[in-house]
Amino acid sequence: MWFQWKKQLKKTTKRNEQSGQEKNGINRTVESELQRNIETVRNTTGNSVDVVIRRFLLGKEEGIPAALLFVSGIVDEEMIHQFLLESVVQLTVPSSYCREEALVYIEQKIAAAGKMKRIKRWSELFLALMSGEVILLIDGVPEALSVEAKGGERRAIEEPVTQLSIRGPREGFTESLATNVAMVRRRIQNPHLWLEAITIGEVTQTNVSIMYIKGIASDEIVEEVRRRLQRIRIDGILESGYIEQLIEDQTFTTFPTVYHTERPDSVAANLLEGRIAIFVEGTPFVLIAPTVFIQFFQVVEDYYARFDIATALRFLRVLVFFISLVAPSVYIAATTFHQEMIPTQLVIAIAAQRESVPFPAFVEALMMEVTFEILREAGVRLPRAVGQAVSIVGALVIGQATVEAGFVSSAMVIVVSITAIASFATPSFAIAISARLIRFLLMVLAALFGFYGILIGIVLMTLHLCSLRSFGVPYMSPLAPLILSNIRDTLVRFPMWALTERPRLINQTNMVRQGNDQRPKPPNQPEKEGDNH
Amino acid sequence: MEQARLSARQLFMLAILFEHGSAMVIPLGVDARQDVWIAILCGMVFGGMLFLVYYRLFTYYPAVPLTSYSQQIVGPFFGKGIALIYVLYFLYIAARVLRDFGELLLTFAYPETPLFILNAVMMITVMYATYKGIEVLARTGELFFFSLYLTAFLGLALVMMAGLIDVHRLQPVLEEGWKRVFKVVFTQTLYVPFGEMVVFTMLFPYIHQPEKAKIVGCLSMFLSGINLAVMMATNIAVLGADTVSRSTFPLLNTIQEIRVANFLERLDVLFMIALVVGGFFKISLFFYAGVIGTADLFRVKEHQRLVYPLGLSVLLLSIAIASNFSEHIKEGLNIVTVYMHVPLQIVLPLLLLIVAAIRHRSSRFFFTKQEKSKRG
Amino acid sequence: MTLVHMMLLSGCWSKKELTDLAFVIAVGVDKKDGKYVLTLQVVNPGNVAGATQRGGGSSGLPVTLYTSTGDTLVEASRKASKKISRLTYYAHTNLVVIGEELARDGITEIFDAIERNPQFRTTASVIVARGRTAEELLSVLTPIDKIPANQIIKTLEMTEKVWGENLNVHAGEVIESLSLAGKEVVMSGFRLDGNRETGKKTKNVQSIDPYARLRAEALAVFKKGKLVSWMGGEEARGVLWILNKIHQTALNIGWKEKKEAVSYKVVRSKTEVTAKMSKGNPVISVVIEAEGDVGETLAPIDLTNPTQIATLEKKIRNEIQKEVQKAIRHAQREKSDIFGFGEIIHRTYPKEWKQMQRVWDEQYFPHLPISIKVDAFVRRTGLRNKPYFQ
Repeated sequence: MWFQWKKQLKKTTKRNEQSGQEKNGINRTVESELQRNIETVRNTTGNSVDVVIRRFLLGKEEGIPAALLFVSGIVDEEMIHQFLLESVVQLTVPSSYCREEALVYIEQKIAAAGKMKRIKRWSELFLALMSGEVILLIDGVPEALSVEAKGGERRAIEEPVTQLSIRGPREGFTESLATNVAMVRRRIQNPHLWLEAITIGEVTQTNVSIMYIKGIASDEIVEEVRRRLQRIRIDGILESGYIEQLIEDQTFTTFPTVYHTERPDSVAANLLEGRIAIFVEGTPFVLIAPTVFIQFFQVVEDYYARFDIATALRFLRVLVFFISLVAPSVYIAATTFHQEMIPTQLVIAIAAQRESVPFPAFVEALMMEVTFEILREAGVRLPRAVGQAVSIVGALVIGQATVEAGFVSSAMVIVVSITAIASFATPSFAIAISARLIRFLLMVLAALFGFYGILIGIVLMTLHLCSLRSFGVPYMSPLAPLILSNIRDTLVRFPMWALTERPRLINQTNMVRQGNDQRPKPPNQPEKEGDNH
Repeated sequence: MEQARLSARQLFMLAILFEHGSAMVIPLGVDARQDVWIAILCGMVFGGMLFLVYYRLFTYYPAVPLTSYSQQIVGPFFGKGIALIYVLYFLYIAARVLRDFGELLLTFAYPETPLFILNAVMMITVMYATYKGIEVLARTGELFFFSLYLTAFLGLALVMMAGLIDVHRLQPVLEEGWKRVFKVVFTQTLYVPFGEMVVFTMLFPYIHQPEKAKIVGCLSMFLSGINLAVMMATNIAVLGADTVSRSTFPLLNTIQEIRVANFLERLDVLFMIALVVGGFFKISLFFYAGVIGTADLFRVKEHQRLVYPLGLSVLLLSIAIASNFSEHIKEGLNIVTVYMHVPLQIVLPLLLLIVAAIRHRSSRFFFTKQEKSKRG
Repeated sequence: MTLVHMMLLSGCWSKKELTDLAFVIAVGVDKKDGKYVLTLQVVNPGNVAGATQRGGGSSGLPVTLYTSTGDTLVEASRKASKKISRLTYYAHTNLVVIGEELARDGITEIFDAIERNPQFRTTASVIVARGRTAEELLSVLTPIDKIPANQIIKTLEMTEKVWGENLNVHAGEVIESLSLAGKEVVMSGFRLDGNRETGKKTKNVQSIDPYARLRAEALAVFKKGKLVSWMGGEEARGVLWILNKIHQTALNIGWKEKKEAVSYKVVRSKTEVTAKMSKGNPVISVVIEAEGDVGETLAPIDLTNPTQIATLEKKIRNEIQKEVQKAIRHAQREKSDIFGFGEIIHRTYPKEWKQMQRVWDEQYFPHLPISIKVDAFVRRTGLRNKPYFQ
């Protein structure tokens, strides 16, 4: 079976290669005759109405036949007008120039446009056209000029929806890669902030960019990220989630090994720690690699708030994670195996509630947990107005009526509610959802073996977590393997001046974040601030 | 051997978890009555000497485990024999500890559950850990090291807060003189857990900084000796020597005595954490040593292939070695000590060391002679 | 699907649903015709106040009593299943009641079952039903704490703490005393006053003055596991003084011609017992330190005067010493070393103890010289320093 499957795989890859070559069938170069070029464009795009072909005569005087190609909606119309105005009305191509040189002349002379590029191949031309550039074709010139004019309607910068903060910048990423990159650039104004572009997706030709700070990020990891991205052969990338799943170290795990964020300040902070950001066109979610487990319990606000508060909150978050992981299974284990561990008064109270419950505790817990998951899922997808109705039904029907009817004990409802709240209080949705999956596994183990089952489950989970790596970095670092200098920013956060080192990932050279004498002092002593690397 | 590297700190934590392992929950050396803590400390001192023997062997052959250097020391034929004996020993002890663990769990919390099921669940976890390799096990060890210590401190603090400790129960010290203490040391506490450090002869080649192996071993033995002594002393100060010597799990009884502020009581779960985590690391390390030893002996490239067959054998062996708990304990105290612990923890390593020392001296002598002749 | 089946059918070997358990809150042990009579006080969770959400409200009784007989306690416990629809569960048993008859007969063997069973906690309190069987004592409904066992334990704990004539002894301590040669068992007795038959009915708790009620009684003194005598009042408090169990109590001291004129509230006390050998014979010394306030005076005393206070302190010392001496005399008369003096000698002089061990109760303890030293301090005098009457 395995063999057959492999064979099939080979076939598919071959077919892919073939189709790639077919596409390269338009590997021809641009011809000199304008009319034929236009026809080629028409044929290739299937006369799509949004591909605008604007013919005009170039130059003030005699006028050379030329055409401007662009896809309406994704280009900046304003700029096209400017361009046209300049090239048609004001431009005079000196007669001494032959037609071939007209293109060069225009490239040098016209100031209205930004980036310009001469293109010979059709494949390049179409790529430029489809990504929102304007193409100038001149009759008699076997070359095209592409002019950067990306624009069109886009969502404005808004507050990030998934990662709100009380203190901190209010802007979140948008769907535009360029805007997103700019937002980070504005935060790190340094020439060493490098950006590499790569196009992924045989069909979608999606722009993907890798961003890192040269000299801080480890070259090895940058190379690894680059290699993994280049290896991707897929028809389309519609969201950074595609990339995440194609570059992660291990697929069969519920834990996310690549972090994603909507916040530019979070990206900037991670870049400064030597991590690498992957921007994908068309999504506000930026990937960050390598990622360690503890990152999912940290939020940018930890660094904006004072250290004691941040530390307390981090402890709370880990506690919350554990509650959301084990609360229902502990309830099952305690009420069906280890009744001796519950204080007498409490066990009698719980027993009284359970007198009329017709299900075993495991079924009761499973029922309530599944109900809750259904409610949550329903609430996420529904329009806001209907969503409220769902929560009313959830609170009243599930919460109250089932207890009154005696289907479920109120202790169970309390447990489920605590679990639910805990699961929402986990800062990262990605980790909260993996906790939810594991929770069900632990419930089964608890129903089979009580606390022993839960403990075995936790040992297995820890083993699994310790076996994970993210781009070669152990997932549980700096806790396991323990890196003492990095413990300062994990479960605890030391005062800002004590965070002198960057997290150790792999083979970095530049580890020092700030000097050792950053501790603020009373005013009679000179005080230094900021981090200069 | 796997391609793996452990830092000195990781090895230290593994050793601590290993030493505490089951020693924490069983009535370790309680025949010494209220002097059990002295017996443990003495066991630690003599165990430390044994450890120096293992360490010396490691310094002669820093790159390979016991199963390899035994062949280099006494030649391939006898060496392979010795290696095989050690591999079987490790696997057998893994099965014994697994049986201990299952029996403890069965008596205290799951009287109706078949032993096989409880053991199987544990063995699956151990097999998963071994499959993932020593690095993963070491990292897991680091995480559990802290949680176990936290639990221990919590337990001790609660025992103190509940006002259960009566130091007078530790009196009279040395009631029957040193004789009873030494009898316990040389029949029990020396071998379990301190002599069991022989497992680390299989792990030392992984250490990243070989020069730290000595300090790692000694420090971990010292610390666990102190901890175990404090723990058994606490048990006696809470329960009295008589109850402890009659109890199957003194630690459990101590924890059950805790009553603080009318709601912090019945903390059996603390005991369960100690039992499962400690048992897991002890079985895992023995089993891992057995698997790696087998792989080394029979030149199996990927030790992962051996995990399933050997794991299954250990599981079945753990069920088959005794028909009831008393028989199991009796075997452990009489037969295993005399026929396994003494020869394999003391006699064989010593013999190997002597032969290795002679070989090294003569070879050095030989080399210097050659050099001289070259110069001449 | 198979997994679910496995879990629901075969998978749960040690699984016990709460609704399948009968929580035994108190166990009573008696002996009748050479057989053990086991009395189980089982909680009806649905009827306990505070949990009256469903299941009949508080109209029913909070506990039910079951008895069964057997040659061993385990047999009796298993046989009880003929009457109880649920599995008897002992992990929450907080109280063991021993009938007086059985106590006089000997209690040594009954604790083995308790110690061996992993469910059973050794922190359960043990008491003796004075003049009654355990069954009778357990068949009384109590008004404030709905569960009679809780009522008994709380009463015991509270009176030990504020009055100090009763001792809350755990099963573990009883076992330790039974196993040691130099210590005898001592525990509290409980008495049932009033009409026993009415005590069984709800009528008992509906009355402002219950027809039947439970009362903490004197201390039961055991010798070699057999009840030999009762010790009440000041003697009992003397025992607690020696055992360092007095937390708080109140003593009455005479002033001038008036007896019982000043009430001294002890708020803190500490006792140290040490052993010494003099000429080959053991000597015990008891040092008691007490601190307290003046709670009430019936005679005109000027408490602003330090010399008055000093006199008062001296009287208090004598009072305490008197109580302690009474207790020691009683114990020596019964030849029962309930204070554990023998154990203290064992700890300090293990070699000498070996010779004494066998004949300790008969030869040494009854004639043991004991020196008592009491230090009592009056720290404060309350909100007034002089009474309003002269």
